[in-house]
This record gives sequence, C-alpha cells and structure tokens, in this order.
Amino acid sequence: MSIPASRSSTAVRMVTGLFHQPYVWAIVALILLLIVNLTKNPGYLGVSVNPATGNLSGNVIDILRASAPIMMIAVGMTLVIATRGIDLSVGSVMAVAGAVSMEFMNNTGTGSFGTAIVAVLLALGISAVLGTLNGILVSIVGLQPFITTLVMMLAGRGLAKVITSGQNTSATNESFRWIANGTFLGFPVVFVIAVLIVAVLAALVRRTALGLMIESIGINPKAARMAGIRPVGILVSVYIVSAVLAGVAGIFSTASVMTVEVAKTGMTAEMDAILAVVIGGTSLAGGKFSLTGSIIGALLIATLDKTIVYMSIPSSATPAFKAIVIVIICLLQSPRVRSMFNRRRTRVIIAEKETVQA
Amino acid sequence: MAPTTRFRAFTGLALAGTLAFSLVACSSGSDEPAASGDDGGELTTVGFVAVGPEGGWRTANEQNIQDAFSTENGFDLKYAPSSNGDQNSQITAFTSFIDEGVDAILLSATEATGWEDVLNRAQEAEIPVVLLDRGIEPNDESLYTSRIAPDNVGISASAAEWANEQFPDGANYVVLEGPPGLSVVNDRNKGWDEAVSDNLVKLESQSANWSTEEAKSVFETMLKANGNDIQLVFAQNDEMGLGAALAVEEAGLTPGTDVKIITIDGTQAALEALAAGRLSFVAEYNPLFGEDAIEVVNAALAGEDVESSIVVPSTTFDSPEAATAALPDRQY
Amino acid sequence: MATTAPAVTEPIVEMENISIEFPGVKALQNVNFRLFPGEVHTLMGENGAGKSTLIKALTGVYKIDSGTITVGGVQRRFAGTADAQNAGISTVYQEVNLCDNLTVGENVMLGHEIRGPIGINWRKTHEAAHEALIRLGLGDLDPRQPLSSISLALQQLVAISRAMVTDSTVLILDEPTSSLDANEVEGLFTVIRRLRDEGVAILFVSHFLDQVYAISDRLTVLRNGIVVGEHQTAELSRNQLISEMIGKDVETLNSLGSHRSRVVHSGGAPFYSAKDLTRKGSIEPVDIEVHAGEVVGLAGLLGSGRTELGRLIYGADKPDSGVVTIDGKTTDVTSPVGALAQKIAFSTENRRDEGIVGDLTVRENLVLAVQARRGWARPLSRKEQAAICDKYLTELNVRPADPERTVKNLSGGNQQKVLLGRWLATQPELLILDEPTRGIDVGAKAEIQETIVALADDGMSVIFISSELEEVVRLSERIIVLKDRRKIGEIVNGPLVTAESIVDLIASEGIVS
Repeated sequence: MSIPASRSSTAVRMVTGLFHQPYVWAIVALILLLIVNLTKNPGYLGVSVNPATGNLSGNVIDILRASAPIMMIAVGMTLVIATRGIDLSVGSVMAVAGAVSMEFMNNTGTGSFGTAIVAVLLALGISAVLGTLNGILVSIVGLQPFITTLVMMLAGRGLAKVITSGQNTSATNESFRWIANGTFLGFPVVFVIAVLIVAVLAALVRRTALGLMIESIGINPKAARMAGIRPVGILVSVYIVSAVLAGVAGIFSTASVMTVEVAKTGMTAEMDAILAVVIGGTSLAGGKFSLTGSIIGALLIATLDKTIVYMSIPSSATPAFKAIVIVIICLLQSPRVRSMFNRRRTRVIIAEKETVQA
Repeated sequence: MAPTTRFRAFTGLALAGTLAFSLVACSSGSDEPAASGDDGGELTTVGFVAVGPEGGWRTANEQNIQDAFSTENGFDLKYAPSSNGDQNSQITAFTSFIDEGVDAILLSATEATGWEDVLNRAQEAEIPVVLLDRGIEPNDESLYTSRIAPDNVGISASAAEWANEQFPDGANYVVLEGPPGLSVVNDRNKGWDEAVSDNLVKLESQSANWSTEEAKSVFETMLKANGNDIQLVFAQNDEMGLGAALAVEEAGLTPGTDVKIITIDGTQAALEALAAGRLSFVAEYNPLFGEDAIEVVNAALAGEDVESSIVVPSTTFDSPEAATAALPDRQY
Repeated sequence: MATTAPAVTEPIVEMENISIEFPGVKALQNVNFRLFPGEVHTLMGENGAGKSTLIKALTGVYKIDSGTITVGGVQRRFAGTADAQNAGISTVYQEVNLCDNLTVGENVMLGHEIRGPIGINWRKTHEAAHEALIRLGLGDLDPRQPLSSISLALQQLVAISRAMVTDSTVLILDEPTSSLDANEVEGLFTVIRRLRDEGVAILFVSHFLDQVYAISDRLTVLRNGIVVGEHQTAELSRNQLISEMIGKDVETLNSLGSHRSRVVHSGGAPFYSAKDLTRKGSIEPVDIEVHAGEVVGLAGLLGSGRTELGRLIYGADKPDSGVVTIDGKTTDVTSPVGALAQKIAFSTENRRDEGIVGDLTVRENLVLAVQARRGWARPLSRKEQAAICDKYLTELNVRPADPERTVKNLSGGNQQKVLLGRWLATQPELLILDEPTRGIDVGAKAEIQETIVALADDGMSVIFISSELEEVVRLSERIIVLKDRRKIGEIVNGPLVTAESIVDLIASEGIVS
C-alpha cells in the first residue's frame, strides 16, 4: 500500500491487489494441496496424451473435470447468497435434471444426437421451473429462502424418485456421454462448457448493472427499494439461474456415468456449493460477492477430494480431514483474524521503518 | 486351491439348505395359530422401517418384502422408507409403529448404532422386531427376535477366494467401500480381509458411498496415484464396480484384462456387465427373502423360538457364461 | 408520607459529563443528569436527541466513552442490564418483554420464586405475587391466570410489578403509553404516582405533551446529544418546552441569511398536488400542493405524520386513497419505482437503514437510483458514472472526494451529501428531503441548506421535512403544520413568521383537544 504507484511495476500491483482479495487464502490452500500431492509424486502435475484414447490425461485434467459441476452450483449459489438468500435445493435439482434426461433417453431408445439435445433441454427446462417456484415463493410470497429451498430439496429428491420410479436409471447415448467424458482441444468438455457458462454469466452480471443491483439488495434491501430497484424480478432471476446451473451440474454428473442414482446424484452438493462460496470470500450475510472466488472455491473442493484419494487418506478420516482444511481457510478469512494479521504486518512495517531511521 | 473353494461353497449351500428345511419345519409347526388368525379375518399388521430407494439391490429387496407380506398372505404391511437414509427418520417411523401397536416390526437400519432405546421400547410393548439385511451394533441379540440376511462375511470371503485363485502369483488391489460405519461395510471388509491371501497387496481402501459416479472419480485417481499398477478392484456393491469399470475404460485400459473387478450384490446391471466382460466376478447378495421373513414373523407371533440369525443363501457368478445363463430369470 | 415536591436529599442517580460517540455521530456530549428519589422525571427531546442513548448508558447497554455514573452514592460502571438491575435500576420497555405462556404470578416472580424443601412452592410464590400486585393496586388481578389473557395495558402493569419485586429504587418507563388508550393511561399514572409516593425514582419517556404535564415533577430536555435544560415542570410553559426541544442552532443561523428573500412562485398550476392523500394508521386525509421552484416545509413534532406524508408522496408507503396530479395529469404513485419514473425523489430520514448501501462505494451509491431507472440491461458506462461522480462530489463538496471509497467509512454529513447526490443525479422535479441535516456537523448542515436554496432557484420543487423549526422557517415558502397525524394548518411564510408561530399553533391545538 505504501509503495508509490510510479515505482511499482504492474506485476507488483497485481500481486498486492490479489492479497487484498478475500479468496487469497483459498489460492494459498490450493497451492499447498498441490504441493502435498507433489511430495508423493513429483510428476503429479504432468499432463500427457493417453496413447489408448488420444486424450489429454493427468491429475490436473481430472481435477478440472471434477470441479465443473461444483463450479456450476457454486456460481449459482453465489448469486443467491448475495441477495441474502440460500439455495439448499441445488443437489435435488441435479438429481431431477439427471433423472429427466436419463429417463427420456432410456425410453426413446435412440442414441441419436437429437435425443441428447432434447434430453438436455428437458433437464434444463424442468430445473428452470423448480427455480421459478423457489424464486416466486421467496420474492412474492415472502417465505424465508432457507425454508423454501429446504422444502424444494426434499420435494425435488422425491420428484426424481417419481420420475425414475425409484430406480437408478441408465441410458446409452454417445453424444450425451461426450458432454462429461469427451475432450475439446484436449480439455475435458465439461470444463470447457463450465468455463464458457461462467464467462457468459460473469459478463452478464458485471457488464450490466445486474451485479450492482444484486449487491444492493443483499446489503440493504430497504435502501435498494427506496432507490427504485425492483427486487422481485432480480430475486426470481437469481433462483432460476441457480436452478438451471444445478440442472447443468446434474447433466454433468449423470453423463459421466450415464446413470442417475436417485438417492446419490447431487447428494450434499448444496454443502459443497455453500462451502465453495464461503471459501471464495462471499459472506453468507449477503451483499458483495465474488464469482472468481467461488470458482477458486470449487477448484479447491475438487482438489481436496482428489487429494484425499491420491494421498490414500483412510476413508473414515476423510470427513475430518476435509473439515479441518475448510475450517482453517474460513478462519484465515474471517475479518477478525485478517485484521489481526494486518495489524501485525503494519507493526512489522513500522518496526522496519524505525530501524531504517535509526 | 480350487477344490477347497468349491468345497466351501458347497458346504455353504448345504448349510443353507438345511436351514431352509428347518424353517419349513418351523412354519409347519406354526400353521395352527396363523390359520386361526386368518379365520377371524384379522390381518397381521407389520411395520416395515425400510431404507427406501438406494439402488437396484435395495429396490428388489424391499419390493420382495412388500410382495410377500400381502393381504392374501394375511398381512397389512406399513412401508416406511427413510428420507434419504436418515436414521432419525427411521427412528421416528419405528417409534410411531410402536405407538400404533403393530403386531411386528421389520427393520433395515441405515446405520448400525443407536438403536438400543427404541428396541427396548418395542420389547416393553412386546412387539417382535426382525432385522432385515442390516444388523445393529453392538449386536445384542436379546434386543431383537431374529436377523435375516445373506451372510456378508461369507460372501466377501468367497469373493476373496476367487481372487486368490485368479492371482496365485500376487497382485495389487484396491477396495471401494460403502460409507464408513455401516455394518455391511464392516462385514464385507472382514470377510475379504480374513480370506484374501497375503500375496495380494491392498494399495488403498476408499469410500465411494455406494455411488457409480463417485466410484468412477475415486478409481480414476487411484489409477493415477499408482501409475495404473492395479490388477484388481474389490467393489463392495455393483454400482461402485460399474463406476470403476468406466474409469478403467476412460484410462484406456480394458476391464477384465488389465483390471479385474469384483462386485457384490448381483443386480441385473452387474450381470449384464459381467456377461459383456466388463466385470469379472459378481457375488450375489440375495435380496429375495420375503418368504423367510414371513416364517420368522409368524413363528415369533406364535411364541415359538426363532434362530437369532438366519442366513439367506446366495450364489456367485464367475464368468460371462454364468451371467448370461442367469440373466433371463433375474428379477432385480 | 413522601411529598410530591422534588426531594432536597441526595440524588439517587447522578450522571456527570457523559459522552458517547458512534461512528460519525456524537450521540451524547457532556451530559449531566440527576434523578431524585420520589420524583417523576421526564426526558424530552426529538428523535435522535439522545433520550434512548442516555437510558442505555444508564442501564449498561452502551458503554460510555467518558463521564461518571453514581447510583445511591456509589460510582458504578454497569456491564449490562443485569448489572444495572442488581443495583436497583429496572426498565420497562414499550414492547413488554414478559412470557406470554406463563401465568401473571409466574411472570411477576420469575427468577424470584419462593423455594420450599422440595423445589418451588407455587402456592407461596403466587401469594407473594398477589402481594406485589396489591402494592400497585392490582389486587383484583388473579395471579394464576395466563398472561396472554389480560390486556396489553395490564401486562405493562404486571411488568412494573415484576420490576418492583426486585426492590428497584429506580424505574425507567420508556414510552409506556404509546399503545394505551386514555383510561389505561390514567390507570398507569395512578400506579406511577403510588410508586413515587413510596419513594421510587421514576424516569419517564414520552412525546405526548399532555401526559408529560400531567405526570412529571421535573424534566430534562435533550437536543442533538446535549442537555438544553433541566426544569420544574410547573415552571415551564409548553411554548418554552417546544422551543427548547426544537431549538435554534445559532451557528447555522449565522452561516446563512435570514428568510429567503426570493419572490414566491409564479402562481400557475402546481407541479405536484394531492387531495385527500390518506393511509390508515399513518396519516389522515391531507391536501398538499407544490409549485415549481417552491420549497414547502412540513413541520410538526415527532410522530405528527411529517415523515409519513413524505413517504406517501414518494410511494414508499402505498396510499389508501387520494387524487394525485403531477404536471397537470392525474396519476398514481404507489412505489418508489413509480415515483422516480415521474421525477419524484425522496431522501429518507433513516440514512443508515433506508438510505446508503453501506458496503458499496461512493460511486455505486451515487449512480444507484439513475441505474435503477434505466434498468439492469442498460448499464451506465464508466464514463457516464465518472461524470456523475465528478459533478456531485464537487458540487456537494463531499470529503474525501474519492468515488471508490466504501461509503460506510464516510462521516454522517458526507454520507448525507452522497445520498443527496444520488437523488439529484436522477434530475428530479420534486425532491422530498426528510431530515437531511439531522445528526451531521454544522458545516455540512449549512452546505446542504445552501444547496436546497440553489436547487429551488433553478426551478426544482422541494418538500422539506425537519424537526428543527428554525430551519423549516428559514428555507420554506409555505409551511404545512402537522400534529397527531393530521394537517392542522398551512402558513405562508413571511417576515412575521417565526418558529414561535408554528409552536403556538401546535401548542394551542393540543390544549383544546
């Protein structure tokens, strides 16, 4: 901060700027996790072409692929949380989307490209309907987001079971399978799609005034209303966006194994999404949000999951391990701990100055 | 080696046979009271605290129970699936069955621990409780009437013996477990670990939560972590085995050749995969024991002694041909 | 028997040089306050004058920055209400905080139940409760009936008995009469007098003048966090009291000229007019007209309906009925969105809760209303935003003039300027300002007043709401006087009109009714 702008290079400013971002500790944790993996195998980050399939292969690729669905729901969750809401139904919506697409492809039986397109549209359509319901209940009826989406979480999973008659349903469709397992220019298609969707969404939110309005509603709903912002449209939109992105995540998940597991698909996904958002530095109290932070949060969670397996951490210890890592990150991000660090840093700087003067 | 395994499998079957016979004997003895119940036109009310949709095996099992305890057979079955495997919802259902005063309760516990209180209450209310499939821990046999289940320990031991046979010169293997803490998981681990030979090296054991999707993701990383040097996967259910098969294919390897996959349960999807050569060994965990359950409930209501543990006979499928032969008759 | 005259004895509570500062606001400055045993002492003051801050300082809710509190001759520093209660200071708030699902007796005795050899002796507990009720003349009340079965007024009395069970020597009643009818108020006053005669010191807060004169022996008047007077009630006229509450800010007076010397509006059709604008429970039918270039003041005490009328015009609250004409066309304004579309802007008195969006930057706060009117799909370009920031940060002299600073870190006065800038950026034709100068320093106040005059000179219509009558008189061409949610008069400003004229109008109305 004290460095005069004229003397600091752009790179230095970028780095210091980064250090003021709330998600800096998530990045640090991400790097640490990668280092931990590197200690087990120095070739961990290597990416090679698999001779048998011709695709890029490597742990990084796996992480990118695994992070795609989390990214989708985390980005949607970020917008909802920014408006002081929460969407607990994303996991169930994933299951519904998966169930609809699998059931449709299973029944039509043709493995054609057209079938896959219709399946995707059906899945996204029903997700949008569920999201609209959430949005209307929250914004117009005025129910609490927690309760509304909790009900939707239970109802959604029920709906998925009704659609598939309670069965895990599989289907065969190469185009649909390609979404989760194919590669585009060597990169996993899921990741490419996820990045594209996030880019479009980020542009939509930050290049228009949508982000400003969402933040205003989240920080001070009364003031936002007095300033002439209509909250209903924006609230309904964020719940729709969240649900549709959950639908995309559901397609990613089920396309990966071409099976919807009604009791498993998207199970506890809402927790991953909320964690990614919090790790990314968006406050659960709403207001200022960071899509970049949530994406880093999603990458971190995917990396954490993969590290647990890679490092052969015993399965009974995995929940505890995951919890510890996340608690530490959240602690480091809490304003109080951050201010403690800052005070310490200033003190060090002052001390340094004093020594120089002396 | 091979003859011993076959011998053991045979004794297993023989034992199961005797058991089935003794059950029949039992039921013939209990004909009188059951019949008298029917005369009065009264249905026996049975509460079924179930797991609910979880996978192909569970669906087949619970459907079989519901079919068996039909009105024609003199029962009024109240089916209470858990909400997404939540134990609390099961305990709530259990308690309300006690309060309703049902004649008997069937319980498939989602979690092994924490059942003492409600089981004691059932005992005070003199309602016999029959555990189906899942056991409880600590396994206090005085708390329930009987447990009917295929023998998890025996089944995974038979899988281990097949593995020993396949890899006489040793191999690296990994285990895909169900959620930690379940009695099934503990039993399947126990049977495997006791029977597997020392020259098979366990590289890693991870939970994939019974899920195909998770198993695919977990095994993909396991392959990377071990430089594809894994010859055998012991998947504790069919779904996870299918996920592992997908990961193998994704890595450009051939299941059955490069990596052999063992699964437990024997659902139709698994047998199809076995017939196609994507899985190598499927041990059946027989879900069809509705009839056995009826026998036990009737015997208990008649005040007769019931075996505290009843093992449901199961078979194994070790070749595509065996799978193809079994598929047409597969009910689940 | 104690006398009703203030005791010549030592005060039971003595607060000296109390100061409390919140970010951007000096809530209390060197306040001295004394409370004697056996007196009813009223705290008077407008909203934000510091009444509730003073009470919270006394009961340990707020920490004082400086000063001393002496209770019963001992210097104290309370860490919380429980601490204060142990020292004999009890508070009964306007929302009764008792347990609905318990009986009257249980509520009275909660935490002081009488214990027998095995647990609580409920019979004796209820007997004790009955005695406590008799002490307040509530012998008819059955301590065994559930609290929820008695009226709110009786519940308030139960709350007072509960306070007395703890042997309180000081009883604070914070706006206890706001939801009671006349008979209930009389019942409450009987109880208060009884306690006073027993030697309890009672601190009473109310903004109903008649009640204050009926019950209190002495009163202390606060304005802007400063004590402006301590009086025997009998020796202070209503007019004097109102002028003290509303005050004359000498410095501000000096910084600006006297009355506006401008010629009154050109007499044509008004820009805005409303007939019989009503909202039930908020304000009774009001007529109001505002011409282009005219400043219309709304004057009245707290709770008179001055803020409610402003909100109704803006559509922040939806009117039940009334005919609104804007620029010659009959129309409806039922929401802020609608108001902004018709070029009406409203700056709230509640800057923190309804005004600024604290975590956003100055720039984002400035452009918010303009952006809302354009809709989310048509964002203002960086350049347009910079233009708005440049213009209003300079014109309104916002310090620091940094558009990227988080607005909550600015002082109250500068936050107010940012808000004003937000509304001006929408280029309104009618600007409603509710207490735009409250709680900000004198310099900023003068600047805002000058801005208002300049805006009207440029042809904007302004409705100016303030609790400071001097300010209203100085700035407005016409003044609408409100009392008890009614319009009681309209004064055309002129050289003979002073704050006193308005005070007279309000005071005389009160006595007649």
